[in-house]
Amino acid sequence: MPMVTLEKIAHLAEECRFDSLGQAQSLAMVDVDAKKLRTLGEGTRHDVCASTFSPREEPLLGICHAFTQDGRCVSLFKTLYTNHCTHQCSYCTNAANCSSKAKAFSYTPEELAKITLSLYRSNYIEGLFLSSGAGRDEGSVMEKMVETVRLLRQKFAFSGYIHLKVLPGCSQAHIQEAVELADRVSINLEAASASHMSEICATKNYESDILQRQRYIRDMKMKPVAGKVVLPAGQTTQLVVGAAGESDEEIFKRILYEYNEIGVKRAYYSAFSPQGGTPFENRKAQPLWREHRLYQMDWLYRVYHFQTDEICHAFDENGLLCNADPKMAIAVEFMDKPLDPNTAAFRELLRVPGIGPRSAQKIVAFRKRQPIVAKADLAAMGIRIKRAAPFLKINGWRDTTLEMWQD
Amino acid sequence: MKIPDNFLYYLSLHEDCNERLLARAEHLRTEDVEVCISPEVVRIKKMVYAVMGETHRMKAFVRLQPLRTKVLYGFLRPRHRIGEHICDHFARRNAGIIVVLGNASESWISLCRDGRIWRDHGRGLYESLEKLKRTLHESLHEREKETDLPVQDVEVLWQIYYDSQYCPERKNLAAFHRQMPRKDQDSAGLRMVQNKKNATLEDFLSD
Repeated sequence: MPMVTLEKIAHLAEECRFDSLGQAQSLAMVDVDAKKLRTLGEGTRHDVCASTFSPREEPLLGICHAFTQDGRCVSLFKTLYTNHCTHQCSYCTNAANCSSKAKAFSYTPEELAKITLSLYRSNYIEGLFLSSGAGRDEGSVMEKMVETVRLLRQKFAFSGYIHLKVLPGCSQAHIQEAVELADRVSINLEAASASHMSEICATKNYESDILQRQRYIRDMKMKPVAGKVVLPAGQTTQLVVGAAGESDEEIFKRILYEYNEIGVKRAYYSAFSPQGGTPFENRKAQPLWREHRLYQMDWLYRVYHFQTDEICHAFDENGLLCNADPKMAIAVEFMDKPLDPNTAAFRELLRVPGIGPRSAQKIVAFRKRQPIVAKADLAAMGIRIKRAAPFLKINGWRDTTLEMWQD
Repeated sequence: MKIPDNFLYYLSLHEDCNERLLARAEHLRTEDVEVCISPEVVRIKKMVYAVMGETHRMKAFVRLQPLRTKVLYGFLRPRHRIGEHICDHFARRNAGIIVVLGNASESWISLCRDGRIWRDHGRGLYESLEKLKRTLHESLHEREKETDLPVQDVEVLWQIYYDSQYCPERKNLAAFHRQMPRKDQDSAGLRMVQNKKNATLEDFLSD
């Protein structure tokens, strides 16, 4: 690639008549009501968007452009289209039955597209995460959300990441459009089952408004259009944890259905925290560690491919996870003798606390070249030896700190 | 992070890398770097990770501002020799626009057009921008825009939005500092901008 003079570069740039900045220029001065921006932004605070990685034909990298003081990443412009809502979810400050609702705001598709473009151009964000209250009816709000995304993609040739929420109960036609335009779509389950849903929200039908819409997405034609992968980052979902008194085991059962029957790429968990003015304002906040343990459980199933009955062993008699690594509890129960990392199979290695898929791969690659003779070898590979040592046996060496092996 | 197949490229960008080390690393395969535990290979692995880490964070943290209609510029003072690489990244993202990144002592200029990249490497950022202003034959109308560009607006928009995303009940400063290391914020000029909402071009240039 050539190194040229500044003058040449200036000349080459001048010859470009169509460019992304030029388009953005015409819409640069966005006059946005600060209160609206804040209120509709706050409306999505509890929504999780983990990665912006999208396996398109030319994969989009996951980049986190900033983090808030709670350590969560801000990589997308995450907002509601409107905070006006007729649903009665008892934990939500935008619900019709919340007594301390913020003033109702709404964007226009044009306005929202412009904010997204200017933040994207200055490299504050990787794209848009668009959710919404249901407005007067979910159909017309979903229509506006799809229109926003269509404007971005088609009029402004926006190539950033788009995560579009599908509103419960919206039409199949809108879902089809959403799927064709976004990198990822999702419908929030919120509850673990129909009965838990009726506990937290009287206006949503779990089966028809939510599960049925998930199946629509699953069953849509995913043939590549003009060589482009359709919905590259797939379908995901999210649950509010602990608002309806459900157990972790009930959540796990639901998640098994989601992964196996719906084919969601990931499930997200958001620990319930009571909001002033809502019917649930006096319910107990769920500890953040519960959310963390659920994610660990989720990883054991989805990434480590643990068996269902192994994972069930991590639940106590009330079906709850305790505040400890579930992998450790499972290892103590199921690993009946220490493993020799020189001979253990990949799958067996994965069951050792402190050894994940990458570490297990490294061990397998290392021992092909030379035997593992000491703990230090593992530590030098980057394995968390303190956690792993009690479950390993190398050349007769082993740590016997766990009571189960002191016979 | 996995060691990429082109790890030699990343190694060569490390501030402490020299010809001798590169020559010694040349015969290594990707898998060797992943797995070998000899002190030299472990050191090479760490150097590759250090460059990849800074590269990733600069793609994330550098903020761009428009200068009239044909230029986007931003502050960058990386520890490793990644200026050109980062500049190319933003040029690809903004085809047809000249991207200028730099600081008081050096600057990188990239333009992506028709799938190709053209580059220049200049002295200070300010100097390069002034030179571009003189060189670009923009119309009077375009020049007038210089004064009313929405730079502050975008920063204000961002600040309001960013503040709206914080959940006080989840406060976790340790995680925040782990994710946004101060040294990387400095390399991208990020803290400077957050502290001074009305940062101007001159603020980027005073060391």
